[in-house]
Amino acid sequence: MKFILNTGRTVTQGRHVEHKYHQGYFEETSSCFIHPLDLMDLDLEDGEHVEVVSEWGSVVLRAVSCEDLRKGMIFVPLGPFANHIIPPRTHSTGMPDFKNITVELARTERERLTQWELMEKIGGKRYENQ
Amino acid sequence: MKINDVVCPFCGCLCDDLEITVEHNRIVAVDNGCTLANAKFMSKEQLASPIRRTGEGWENISYDEAIQYTVDMLLDADRPLLYGWSGTHGEAQCIGVHVSELVGGIIDSTTSVCHGPSILAIQEVGHPGCTLGRVKNRADVVIYWGCNPLEAHPRHMSRYTTYADGYFLQNAFRERKVIVVDVRETETARVADEFIRIKEGGDYAVLSALRAIVRGKGDVVPESVAGVSRSQLERIVTLCKDAKFGAIFFGLGLTMTRGKYKNVRNAIELVDELSRHTKFTITPMRGHWNVYGSNEVFTWMTGYPYAIDFCRGIAFYNPGETSAIDLLARKECDACLIIGSDPGAHFPRGCVEHLAEIPTVVIDPVPTMTTALADVQIPVAVSGIDADGTAYRMDGVPIRVRKVIEPTLPNDREVLKSIHAKMKEAKGQ
Ligand code: SF4
Repeated sequence: MKFILNTGRTVTQGRHVEHKYHQGYFEETSSCFIHPLDLMDLDLEDGEHVEVVSEWGSVVLRAVSCEDLRKGMIFVPLGPFANHIIPPRTHSTGMPDFKNITVELARTERERLTQWELMEKIGGKRYENQ
Repeated sequence: MKINDVVCPFCGCLCDDLEITVEHNRIVAVDNGCTLANAKFMSKEQLASPIRRTGEGWENISYDEAIQYTVDMLLDADRPLLYGWSGTHGEAQCIGVHVSELVGGIIDSTTSVCHGPSILAIQEVGHPGCTLGRVKNRADVVIYWGCNPLEAHPRHMSRYTTYADGYFLQNAFRERKVIVVDVRETETARVADEFIRIKEGGDYAVLSALRAIVRGKGDVVPESVAGVSRSQLERIVTLCKDAKFGAIFFGLGLTMTRGKYKNVRNAIELVDELSRHTKFTITPMRGHWNVYGSNEVFTWMTGYPYAIDFCRGIAFYNPGETSAIDLLARKECDACLIIGSDPGAHFPRGCVEHLAEIPTVVIDPVPTMTTALADVQIPVAVSGIDADGTAYRMDGVPIRVRKVIEPTLPNDREVLKSIHAKMKEAKGQ
């Protein structure tokens, strides 16, 4: 099913900007907020996993029911998960489209990667000596 | 020991009324701050020494080694990018400009992924702004457009608008009308007097419709514009025209969606239109602490606010070409120094992939997502906690920030100073 993806700040994301390897940051930034009726249409329960696919790639997130949203729109707090599928195109303005992106959603049994696994997938190395 | 009137080093509100309790050079309590301020002051995640990536993991290195690595990396590079700058103080930003000029590099701040488009719009049509103090004391209509202050700037409404009594507003909560325009019905929208819910990407059309109605051309506006009824738009215009002083605050809902700087330009022109009837102002909700300061410092030193390229020996500015996202997406830069920001978390994957490929140094107190992509990280004291300096609030007011505890690490200014000195020495200057 097609959806419009918006990304943005949340308090929980903000509280974890200095604690990015904590579970709280992972849970918040890998959440996909979605209208409860859309959850029903996707045959998903709150908390189950969903694959979000954009023209730039795909990422597995945890669906979280949220009535603030209009049907047909999803919200993902800004962070490495949302950015995994945001195209790096700026239309010559310097600013990518972090909001209002068309994506496809489907239910999945796959697990989410962690934020470190996302970084390692592209050649990074987690820092573990904390 | 209690320290009063401490400035918060987190968001662009720069609240200056925090009370910090310090015992044995440790912060043990934060009063008056929001939950973001608490998390920042109470953070215990600081790295104790610089680190370098090895084949298997990470090793601790000395400051001298880390600084030498950075100097060599910058001097060896053909097209170095020096990015970030919002989490640090103005004095460090100054040295950053000198370093960039010396290596013929590009200096860009997080502006390019927040209010860069707002600056482009301001360069086209100007900025009818004012200080937050004026809003607090005078504004009887406040519009939050495409922003969610309760989550991103948690004390904005209590210090300056909805819940802040002012000189001319004895009972702000009753006398001030708050209008929220958003695609989501956020917590902020729920406490507003009017909530305008627009369809995604409809900002430009709704702004144009409002301008038409203010001009007395409401008859050309269709029954519904981007999901908003004409009657609601007419009601909003009446509210605005009847205001004694109106203030618009706008966020990334305008700068990150289609149209980008054109959306902001339309909003500024709505303010222009409304100011023919009453007094109206507009202010971008600058997010990351001293991001406004980076624009001020860069402008008074180079003539341009962000995305400045020194490769020609003079300052050259062309966002879309010389901005960090574009440089990384085109895989153009061959080394990167990152300070006071976390592109690993906040840039699209297509950009971050290139960071992992090129030599990258991060100057940041704590491990971030960018740490995973870097070769070296140099921990520093935190501006506003164990380092002092100057930062600019979202309305352009510079505020001196003190340190509340004694530092155990050098600060950004000191690290950049030694990088600059060593580079000059290597260049025989
Ligand atoms: S609103 Fe911003 S500046 Fe004020 S205390 Fe919260 S994070 Fe700090």
